[in-house]
Amino acid sequence: MAAKSMTLLWGSGSCPCWRAMIALEEKNLQGYNHKLLSFDKMEHKSQQVLDINPRGQLPTFKHGDTVVNESYAICLYLESHFKSQGNQLIPDGPEEQALMYQRMFEGLTFYEKLGSVIYYDWYVPEGERHDSALKRNKDGLVVELGLWEGYLSKGSGSFLAGKSFSLADVVVFPTVAFLFRFGLSAGRYPKLEEYYALLKDRPSIKASWPPHWLEGPEEELLLKDI
Amino acid sequence: MWWVGAGYKTRNVDPSALTPPSFLLLNSRPQLLLVISVTMAKDMTLLWASGSPPCWGVQIALEEKNLQGYNQKLLSVAKGEQKSKEVLEINPRGQLPAFKHGKIILNESYAACLYLENQFKSQGTQLIPEGAAEVGLMYQLIFEAQPLAQKIGEVLYYNWKVPEGERHDSAVQRNKEALKEEMKIWEGHLQGCGDFLVGKSFSLADVIIFPVFAYFIRNGGSEERYPNVAAYYKKLRDRPSIKKTWPPTWIDGPGMGTLKDI
Repeated sequence: MAAKSMTLLWGSGSCPCWRAMIALEEKNLQGYNHKLLSFDKMEHKSQQVLDINPRGQLPTFKHGDTVVNESYAICLYLESHFKSQGNQLIPDGPEEQALMYQRMFEGLTFYEKLGSVIYYDWYVPEGERHDSALKRNKDGLVVELGLWEGYLSKGSGSFLAGKSFSLADVVVFPTVAFLFRFGLSAGRYPKLEEYYALLKDRPSIKASWPPHWLEGPEEELLLKDI
Repeated sequence: MWWVGAGYKTRNVDPSALTPPSFLLLNSRPQLLLVISVTMAKDMTLLWASGSPPCWGVQIALEEKNLQGYNQKLLSVAKGEQKSKEVLEINPRGQLPAFKHGKIILNESYAACLYLENQFKSQGTQLIPEGAAEVGLMYQLIFEAQPLAQKIGEVLYYNWKVPEGERHDSAVQRNKEALKEEMKIWEGHLQGCGDFLVGKSFSLADVIIFPVFAYFIRNGGSEERYPNVAAYYKKLRDRPSIKKTWPPTWIDGPGMGTLKDI
């Protein structure tokens, strides 16, 4: 069985890892070998990761002898290789397909803007931090949230590419889940809330929900004022 | 399905791509293919800036897929034209490339490239390889190109991105070290490579990544320190799709040497 020849090294509470795990579930590849590593203990820089991914990053993924790192690459590879099993994640029709690709790649910007706020202290050494920079990053995230609220309001269906769940949802949903995990206030972004509610119980998403999130809220609610 | 031989690679032509009157007038299949390509391309518009790797990637993809003849407009980032009304109408983010195919809009270069390869699979160069390992490597490399482009930008555009009161020498130094480490990773990726980033054929990896390497070298990146990158660059710069779309503003002479110490 294909899943048995796959190995995923991952960390809990990582959007990129979560994307890969949702894709694996959607393509009916449950049963893949996996190892949960700790970012706090710097296990992403351990030899077992570096052997497969010289960048020392997670997710790190192998299928037989084929190594595919980078979460979007894993998702595209899985859909391409397992097109005919599980859910179809890339629509056939040109308009829906184009919209899916467009939202997928805007999703990278979305994640970056989110990270510039919630990971500010992780990315920026103490001596270089400025309130003005964090404020600017928060303003950037607000603009970005406005765009996605708009996309979800005007869309032709409940999913990012229209009427069907697609790779755009696989890669972007984790970012949306993070918004609410980090305290995005109820009522301010109703369409994002609706999207979150629609998908949070989808089997592939529920099955791959970050385990430490199930233990209760722990994060500082960095987004409560956004 | 139409099967075309006659010296061309066998390929399928989607009947829905035919414009009936043009097809009826033609006597030969190569002419038929040409009409289809030109018809498709005439429905496409690209707004772009010279020297921008994302814009350049889309241009290379269009050439490789035989979609010459698309409408295009060169805009100036120096004059802020990416924020002009004509761009904002297609791309509310005010960024380039901005690409339209009929009513379809694709403003992310990777999205446009993937769309073009998927929608025009059977014409021009095949840009996604066959084998699983090669497909996996191709996707991995195009996403690794994101940190590459980002780190180049962090060095080149530090003063543009970071307001004066927030600048630190330590940050500048860190960004330079990060770019050096990144370039070493790519030297490693290219070690033992043939003419292309993935296997024996030109692929989306080359479409997307060649412009980034060219941009690095253009801005002073050292060919001595990164010989594998330099060799790859020299091998591909005369490829027709690349030569034809070479940034017009680069023909006038060398760029700034900002990256010479990397």
